[in-house]
Amino acid sequence: MNVTTPIEQRDFKIVGKSVRRDDVLEKVTGEAEYTGDVKLPGMLHGKIKRAAIAHARIKSIDVSKALAYPGVKAVLTHENVPRVLHYGSPHPRSASCTKDQYILDDRVRFWGEGVAAVAAISEEIADEALDLIEVEYEPLPAVFEPEDAAQPGAPLIHEVGPGGNLVLDPVRVNRGDVDAAFAQADFVLEGTFSGGRPHPAYMEPNVCIADWDGSNKLTFWTSTQTSFMVRGILAEVLGLPLTKVRVLVDHMGGGFGAKQDLFQHEFLCALLAKETRRPVKMEFTRHETFVAGRSRHPCKIWLKQGFKNDGTLVARDMKLVYDSGAYGSHGPGVTIVGTTAATSLYRCENVRLEGRCVYTNTPINGAFRGYGVVQSYYALDIQMDEAAERIGMDPAELKLKNVVRAGDIAPSGHPILGHGLEICLQHGMDVLDWKSLRNRDRTPDPKRPHIRTGWGIGCEMHGSSAYPGIKEQGNATVKVNEDGTVTLLTGAAGLGTGAHTALAQIVAEELGVRFEDVGTIHGDTDVVPWDIGAFASHTTYLVGTAAKMAATKVRASVLERAAMKLQVKPGEIDLSEGNIFVKAEPGRFMTVAEAMGPSRGIPAANIVANGTYEPTKSYSFAAHFAEVHVDTETGIVEVKRVIPVHDVGRVIHPIAAQGQIEGGIQQGIGHTLTEDYIIDKKTGRSLNAGLVDYKMPLSMDMPDIETIILEAAPDPGGPWGAKGVGEDPIIAIGPAIANAIHDAIGVRFHHYPITPEDILKALREKGA
Amino acid sequence: MKRIVELTINGEPRDMTVDSCRSLLDALRDDVGLTGTKKGCDVGDCGACTVIVDGEPVNACLMLAVEAEGRTVETIEGLQPGVDTLHPLQDAFMRHGASQCGFCTPGILMMAKKLLDDNPRPSDEDIRFGLSGNICRCTGYTKIFDAIKAAAIEMEAARS
Ligand code: FES
Ligand code: FES
Repeated sequence: MNVTTPIEQRDFKIVGKSVRRDDVLEKVTGEAEYTGDVKLPGMLHGKIKRAAIAHARIKSIDVSKALAYPGVKAVLTHENVPRVLHYGSPHPRSASCTKDQYILDDRVRFWGEGVAAVAAISEEIADEALDLIEVEYEPLPAVFEPEDAAQPGAPLIHEVGPGGNLVLDPVRVNRGDVDAAFAQADFVLEGTFSGGRPHPAYMEPNVCIADWDGSNKLTFWTSTQTSFMVRGILAEVLGLPLTKVRVLVDHMGGGFGAKQDLFQHEFLCALLAKETRRPVKMEFTRHETFVAGRSRHPCKIWLKQGFKNDGTLVARDMKLVYDSGAYGSHGPGVTIVGTTAATSLYRCENVRLEGRCVYTNTPINGAFRGYGVVQSYYALDIQMDEAAERIGMDPAELKLKNVVRAGDIAPSGHPILGHGLEICLQHGMDVLDWKSLRNRDRTPDPKRPHIRTGWGIGCEMHGSSAYPGIKEQGNATVKVNEDGTVTLLTGAAGLGTGAHTALAQIVAEELGVRFEDVGTIHGDTDVVPWDIGAFASHTTYLVGTAAKMAATKVRASVLERAAMKLQVKPGEIDLSEGNIFVKAEPGRFMTVAEAMGPSRGIPAANIVANGTYEPTKSYSFAAHFAEVHVDTETGIVEVKRVIPVHDVGRVIHPIAAQGQIEGGIQQGIGHTLTEDYIIDKKTGRSLNAGLVDYKMPLSMDMPDIETIILEAAPDPGGPWGAKGVGEDPIIAIGPAIANAIHDAIGVRFHHYPITPEDILKALREKGA
Repeated sequence: MKRIVELTINGEPRDMTVDSCRSLLDALRDDVGLTGTKKGCDVGDCGACTVIVDGEPVNACLMLAVEAEGRTVETIEGLQPGVDTLHPLQDAFMRHGASQCGFCTPGILMMAKKLLDDNPRPSDEDIRFGLSGNICRCTGYTKIFDAIKAAAIEMEAARS
């Protein structure tokens, strides 16, 4: 919706094909270098001493024994690190962050927070030295639930911010006349909803390496989605010019949003390296990825909606409270995005929303795929099913009646383009023959009478950028080399989504060369153009457009050069699949290599161009159809089959797009049924910070997924209409499962995860 | 206490000098320099460190390096039959999009190799069960299952 020009149609040669991903070749051979694989001469190992108390003031900290321990090279505490108040999520082009943290403070705000750091010649020695650090705490009263933290007189976790343990002032949206609309509604539904604390559990634990050179320049390897943010905030807090910080990241073992904070261990690693004048590596244990990583914000929601008897939605009133944990991190962004998202999905002219984000003495919650919207759309979508049930209507029909359509105002304030959601929903209903599924014989299989089956639908929409919260900027540099090959320089991170391949496809397509001739350089802030980071499902949309712009420019220059060599006007020639030919005489042509290389009197050349793009927003849509089997004896819910129908605009790499959807469904099944990072409500201690106790869906648990991608509503803001896909799947699957469980056993759940205990308890109550 | 361990890694006789409490995983990654095998948890929960020892899949983080004395260890670096050729599983993983971030991939490939070596015609259930100790958080496994099935068919065809 950025530009009004129609989307260019063409006979695609490379876009839309699942070309070979170069990064995957390195991955299947074991050659791909991840941060943890980097080893520098003389490298030390850093470890962090973590507090075993949820809220306290540090009375004293004695490191003398640790310092004297053989092999220990440095110990840092709040007494000897710079004291600079800084952001946890430093999106440089947004105003929505809270400066609320120090590298080390004389205060502990959650169980597991770092209070000191050690560098030693081995990990084992560093670990042993941690036990020699003696910390004396003065305990402070702690609060673990937003309800308690928001009470007047509750212990204050921060001095900064609006007060009352709020991370930011409440986010409010008012549209239309909500009270009048409720007065005219035929019926009103009201309910409370809640979501747990799912953890991203990327397979590569956080890891970084710091190395200073003689000119006081810091080279910093780290597994991050946002290397330029890491550069910016490290420089700011350490008091260095940007040119004195170089951030490197090649392959990453996943992030899912959560690797876009600047973490405490990253500062400490840099400072330990500075202190010791040796490279230092810091690698999280799996336990630390939970305690010191980032999880999804637990959320409590109150939702009231008014409907007409024909199923038309007329009013919505909603209050959301997000639990930020001990620091702000992405709390402001999540609250704004999650709250304003509820203006939409199902069209409603009269909307009143209020979102709050509250500090508690629990581990930090941050960005995670679905960013606040997982929570709000779970509530919206389940209540739509309840409305259908109330009037005896098919929930699919009721949703179809109310879904957003072209011209409706999106959460960003823009009119929505196209009928993406309606088309996805209708398509899924047709493919599944939804009517007969609804009317199927529901008698349980006599061989397994305790198994009940159910089908449910979940809908979602998600922006392919963070606008208007963040003004994004996408950059790309494209070079055509003297042998006709092409180099794309991008700052976009390689989380594993295939983003670099998609960008190279876009360049090859636009320029008119073979995909194999485009190489990609990424992951070095000293070399590649500035990038805001890989988040908000925006890389293909944002950086893809910038890459296409740069490719358009170099294409024109290549044609100019070839025209000179062929002694024709640039307009008389064209470029396709690496060949430049005279349009009127296709037999007369030269290759791009010949155009760029030397010929008599003309030296070889390099052609370079940049593309910079500042988009507004587009939305992608999805409707998920899920089948569950509920075992009424054990309470176990099995997701058997999922048909996700997505509109992502133009598809650049079909297999990569499908992979995003299937992986999102896996994580969404997890948070809906089994995943919850549990914090003890008495002590603030983590109870399941490990991969066995934190239960994720694995190979035995995955349903059959039949992914359908429709190019239903391409957006001119993205390359040939491409939109984002990363976050969408995790949002739609949750309510689809909850609604399917209701279809199976007639019980409504308003929370996640829905555990076997919850199912059995509800069945008992229903029976009674 | 340091010990010298003699073993065969990917067909080559090697020795490594390790602390007696060092895991095979750390020894492979840090001492031998074979970093293709990944550490996702270090406590036996994720399968990222799966290697094959004397023909059996092992979580290298749970095995002591000294226990590998005299044994044969296969890692991801040894899966390629030749410099320019890929194992059918590697090729299938690429074609089917079975690797996203790739952090689980070396472990899953080694586990899948063992699976197909033992059971050249695995059912869907066999594949799911075979991978039950390997966490992949990116792919939803769908494309991994597809790739293993495709590789099985290809390997079968190559044999006949
Ligand atoms: S690293 Fe060995 S099982 Fe996870
Ligand atoms: S591809 Fe990322 S964990 Fe499997």
